[in-house]
Amino acid sequence: MQTKIIIQSLSELPTAPTTIGTMAWNQTGDWRYVTPLVADKMAPCGQNCPAGIPIPRHLSAVNRGDIEGGLALLLAHNPLPGLTGRLCYHPCQTKCVRKKIDRTISIQRMERFLGDLTTDVTMVKSDKTGHRVTVIGSGPLGLSCAFYLGCRGYRVVVLDPSKQAGGALVGLSPEKIEPQVVSHDIDRLIRLADIRLETGAVIDFAKLGERSANADLVILDPTGLSEDLCTPAGAVLCNPFDAETVSGSIVSVQLPQNLSPFKAQMIAHYIAAGRLLAQKVSKALHHTEREAFSPDLPLQAVDIENIKIVRFQAPGPPTEAATGQDGTWDRECAMQEAKRCLSCGTCNLCLQCVSYCPDASIRPDGEKGTVAVDLDHCKGCGICAFECPRGVITMEDMSV
Amino acid sequence: MKKVMMGTEAATMAVKLARVQVVSAYPITPQTVIVESLADIIGRGELKAKYLPVESEHTAMSSCMGASMAGARVFTATSSQGLAYMHEMLHFTAGERVPVVMVNCNRAMAPPWNLYCDHTDSLSQRDTGWIQYYCADAQDVLDAILIAYAVAEQAFLPVMINLDAFYLTHTSEPLDVPDQATVDLFLPPYQAPLKLDVDDPKTFSIVCGADLFSSIKYKRQGDTLAVARLWDQVAEKYNSYFNRLHKTVEAYRTEDADLCIVSIGTATGTVRLAVDRLREEGLKVGSLRLAMIRPFPREGLQRGIAKAKHVIVIDRDVSFGAEGIVAQEVKACLFDHGGDVKVTGFVAGVGGNDITVDTIIPLVRQAISGDGDAVEAGMSLWAEVLP
Repeated sequence: MQTKIIIQSLSELPTAPTTIGTMAWNQTGDWRYVTPLVADKMAPCGQNCPAGIPIPRHLSAVNRGDIEGGLALLLAHNPLPGLTGRLCYHPCQTKCVRKKIDRTISIQRMERFLGDLTTDVTMVKSDKTGHRVTVIGSGPLGLSCAFYLGCRGYRVVVLDPSKQAGGALVGLSPEKIEPQVVSHDIDRLIRLADIRLETGAVIDFAKLGERSANADLVILDPTGLSEDLCTPAGAVLCNPFDAETVSGSIVSVQLPQNLSPFKAQMIAHYIAAGRLLAQKVSKALHHTEREAFSPDLPLQAVDIENIKIVRFQAPGPPTEAATGQDGTWDRECAMQEAKRCLSCGTCNLCLQCVSYCPDASIRPDGEKGTVAVDLDHCKGCGICAFECPRGVITMEDMSV
Repeated sequence: MKKVMMGTEAATMAVKLARVQVVSAYPITPQTVIVESLADIIGRGELKAKYLPVESEHTAMSSCMGASMAGARVFTATSSQGLAYMHEMLHFTAGERVPVVMVNCNRAMAPPWNLYCDHTDSLSQRDTGWIQYYCADAQDVLDAILIAYAVAEQAFLPVMINLDAFYLTHTSEPLDVPDQATVDLFLPPYQAPLKLDVDDPKTFSIVCGADLFSSIKYKRQGDTLAVARLWDQVAEKYNSYFNRLHKTVEAYRTEDADLCIVSIGTATGTVRLAVDRLREEGLKVGSLRLAMIRPFPREGLQRGIAKAKHVIVIDRDVSFGAEGIVAQEVKACLFDHGGDVKVTGFVAGVGGNDITVDTIIPLVRQAISGDGDAVEAGMSLWAEVLP
């Protein structure tokens, strides 16, 4: 606390009845008994997404006009957006809160739009580890696993006995998925994660144990190989969705019944399986969680009660742009559609909290793309949490 | 540049010339033209300012106070009921010493509901600590607002510029619009000595005990009293730039006057015509316009009526249970003036009753002879009352 100033004459009185020195010492944060917690929560769309994509994040970037940034955010959770944008049964959209106002956000069309972009993006990647992993089979599961391992710094080789990469995707009819979409997505995935892909590879499945001498681990992708090749001698079975850790040097991925045999519309489940497997592999080879590259997901689901629908009732931007089923989107269409997203549970820097805080104790943190609370001065009045229309800020009792 | 403008348009023009940065106002007849046209010019980008549409006059004044504390030059405008609704914040702005400038369009207080000219709205705010200036014509509106900013930002006191409803707000007159470059020289940007700053927090409107309370109020009283002279000094400076003088007291043919008619606002122009007419009859009459009511221009008034033995005050207002408010003020000022001056107070021209030469002359005759149509109520004589 600063020294007390005794005013002894009229001339020393300030003109306005205001403190002369700073009041920074007066840490009114002491008065607080509940604390605003600013934390992104999983939106209902993301909760229902088989791949667990925090959807409002990339929509928010697109809304700001940062379309490439939106693609990078999407790729961090889904390296095959062109495919999911066409094949997935998009359960995300059935939970979209926006439909209570007018109609659901076209999340799948957004995914397709972003996936089809030809501009390059850069991904945040870990340093190279020196560990080597061979993935046999280049189906969506194997590619997804290879992508996340590549991003985590592993030297990954994907081998496929077929001439064409894509595994089960290759056999799909062109009406269902155009071959150029498959190759566009795979090419980008390989490039971004710095993976080596060998098609038409000659593989002696009986001697995989020898091959594993060149790699720390061999993974067999059930979405990339015929069933009879998937479980060679010496392989250890592993279900990516269970709690078991990876053991052995040859891993044969076993999928639950609903995912086997391959179903194209379940593509997001295979991508999720690949990501979960990559996490297990990483854990098994390093015995530690690698932090540098971890697509950090909101841990908690947003409380739907905290999404204040009434505040969004005002007419939004025109929605016609997104309604046509034919024709492609341009950037403008994508931005208009992204603008409709309520960004449930996800701070999009609307700054409603900043405007309403009576003590200027919550301010934008541009670097983190969210807001930060000045706990030295926040009195815990809760106005920010009340004003946040999307359930990002909650008042928590931190004393327990 | 010569233009023809209503008083409200002149006010808007002055706000634009003053490069006001924040406008926060709530519309009310007859002020509406001001806020609408300000919203318009701000919307078109002709004035780089933030326009805050608010839900009430109380908030309008609160946000003006906040914006001023943050260092912005601010403006608001209101009228009658709206001004009354601001009452609490009028005390606050004056006490917090923020240089807000406000236009008030003098309109009758309800009930009965009436949109026309009456000064009771602003005069009943006289003890809030605001500087009060009453305009005579559209040119006076434009010039006084510019002078008001200069005065407010030197004295750190808010200024209320008053316009007679319709006689001034909605009457078109020719006037001279000064050029922006010269206005910028006369009125440089506001430099707040102390600002609301999140990174250097201070407590504004502090809690204060008996130890400092009297001293703070005493200091403000001294600063407020000094504004009567400060205004005249700034007005002289304005005159040197634009060749128009707008002082706190305006005397007309008072040099040898035995009888002096005191008035505020637009009525003064008519009073002067009546003075000319009465002079033709041989009566030594003069007119004294009090442009400023707070601080009360004691020196100007005492000088203006130096020779007069009889002062007539025309009040477009009343303090119920006492008399016309300007008459009270004049009497208080003359009490220790020495000399024996008779004061006759009239309440006239309220709620849309026109003050014309033909209404003033009978009042003067009644003041002299004691006979006339105005009826007595306490110490005042009321015109325009049913028999």
